[in-house]
Amino acid sequence: MAQLTLAETQQSAAARSTFERLGAWLSRFALPWLYLLPTVIFFIGWAIYPIARVAWISLLDYRPIDASRPVTFIGLENYVQAFSDPLLWLGIKRAAVFTAVFLPGMIFIPMFLAVLIDRVTQPKLATFYRLILLIPAMIPGPLIFLLWKWMYDGYIGPINFFLVDVFHLFTIQTQPQWMSNQLVIPSLAIMEWWWGLGYHTMFYVAGLATIPRDLFDASRVDGANEWKMFWTVTFWRLLPVTLVLVVLRFGTAMAVIDEYLLMGGFLRDRPTYTWTVYMWDTAFQGVQSRGYAAAIGWVGTIVMLIVVAILFWAFRNRD
Amino acid sequence: MATQAAMSGTQPIVAARAPSYRPPRRIKWGTVLRHVVLAVFAMVILLPIIWVLLLSVKSLPDAYQNDIWPKTFDFSHYGYSLQRIPTLPQNYANSIIVTLGTVVITTVCAVLAGYAMVFLNVPGITIVFAVLVASMFFPTRVTAVIAIFEIQKDLGLLNVPAGLIFPYVTLSLALSVFVMRGMFQTVPREIYDAATIDGSGRMRTLLSIMVPMVKNGIVVVIIVNFVTAWGEYLLAKTLNTNQSAQTLPVMLSMATGGMGAWVWPRLAAVYVMAITPGLIAFGLAQRWYIKGLQEGALKA
Repeated sequence: MAQLTLAETQQSAAARSTFERLGAWLSRFALPWLYLLPTVIFFIGWAIYPIARVAWISLLDYRPIDASRPVTFIGLENYVQAFSDPLLWLGIKRAAVFTAVFLPGMIFIPMFLAVLIDRVTQPKLATFYRLILLIPAMIPGPLIFLLWKWMYDGYIGPINFFLVDVFHLFTIQTQPQWMSNQLVIPSLAIMEWWWGLGYHTMFYVAGLATIPRDLFDASRVDGANEWKMFWTVTFWRLLPVTLVLVVLRFGTAMAVIDEYLLMGGFLRDRPTYTWTVYMWDTAFQGVQSRGYAAAIGWVGTIVMLIVVAILFWAFRNRD
Repeated sequence: MATQAAMSGTQPIVAARAPSYRPPRRIKWGTVLRHVVLAVFAMVILLPIIWVLLLSVKSLPDAYQNDIWPKTFDFSHYGYSLQRIPTLPQNYANSIIVTLGTVVITTVCAVLAGYAMVFLNVPGITIVFAVLVASMFFPTRVTAVIAIFEIQKDLGLLNVPAGLIFPYVTLSLALSVFVMRGMFQTVPREIYDAATIDGSGRMRTLLSIMVPMVKNGIVVVIIVNFVTAWGEYLLAKTLNTNQSAQTLPVMLSMATGGMGAWVWPRLAAVYVMAITPGLIAFGLAQRWYIKGLQEGALKA
């Protein structure tokens, strides 16, 4: 059938004029491109071009606050300055500290929860748990941050209300200051876990559905308990999902900015004053060069991408 | 999941013999513990939201008493905030315009691109594909925010709410294309070939045959982009500096509670109004969303 049509096509193609052949070429190769065109236009216009343009800006001495000052090309000078800027390296270190606190919880809590949900045999109850867990994923980011700003508040916040007024673990003077320099990083990590719990659990639930059931039955026959079964079967079968999530979440955690802008502020001794905040602060709030801010952004991004590349290399398929 | 796998016939032997293995009925402490743990997690998720709901209906004195359950209910905060915070209806409208524009454009882009990637012979597709994959690991929004500001300034789109649509479309575009590509891959090639032999053009095959088959994926794409656009912060804060041009969540997040129109329960009332559309949309679409996530997300 397929061969016959192919032969027919070739016969008729020979009889066609050049013009017709051009038309055939257009409809065969060029027209399909029309389907990709919208995606490509947006992607070039608001992703690739901005990335290239920010690279160009990083080579300029550009101070928008001072309109009389001419914009000049200064080559790699911004980068030379950035490399010896202790605040930039401190900012990268701070982002790494947050990532180290945030990442393990964002991987293991959903994994644990997915195993529990996977074992719920009543379909209605399983759906119910999933729906509840997914609620935070439907709340816009800034409103998550606002909600937790309230949660952690020392005046109206319900967390400290329970700790002080209900359980009497602390007094008004000794109550934890969740947004203080000492506690702000774990506080933000807890907020992020709360936000991402359902979404990440769904990935693991989907991953668990692909594990053949007889693997569990076999290891149960071998006398494995739940704990042993998790570490001998489940964990390894979920590893592909885990590796994807580790790389993706590492990337987002190192480049967090919204939370820091909203909850951390612009004090330079805050643990939330990371390279991203430093970049934004320099670009939009100061009298400093926006070109220098672009260089800060690029250095932070490249350091992050190097680690992502290392993770890819370490997680490469060894089969 | 367990029942689904058993019913779909992957292990008919186990499923058929299972009853004879069933141990005598007794309380399984493992099962009880599992539900206790799950219930605790569900409570941890729900309590902050319930707390805001209650705060939004507390009378003003109650709000400053800190008790979780209000002594007197006061539902006037909702109407009051809509009237007394002058930019609020405008902010709400901005959010709707920006979100609607982003969702429609991205979904159309993703459906067309996913279809082309799976069924059409597009020269150079590997390059497009590689760039899209690479972009998933590049923090474009953060790294390029300075350039996006300059571009929008050149286009005169600063403080124009609808201007946000352009950068917003790209935020989840790569993910959306992959979800749709994954969905189209589940459609057998024969269906496309049969439609072509019957004389159906590419676009008609897509619209009349394919779209109904990939609707779970479309729901996922719509929800992902809804959440992205409705809740984006960094670009909205950077590009729009006028309160009246701001989207609702960003305007709300900048308000600090305390006095006047922004007294706590009124802030909470606005908060509830801001999260409700997302929760309603999710409630309506959750069935397809969960299915679509499971079918498409793992491939993406």
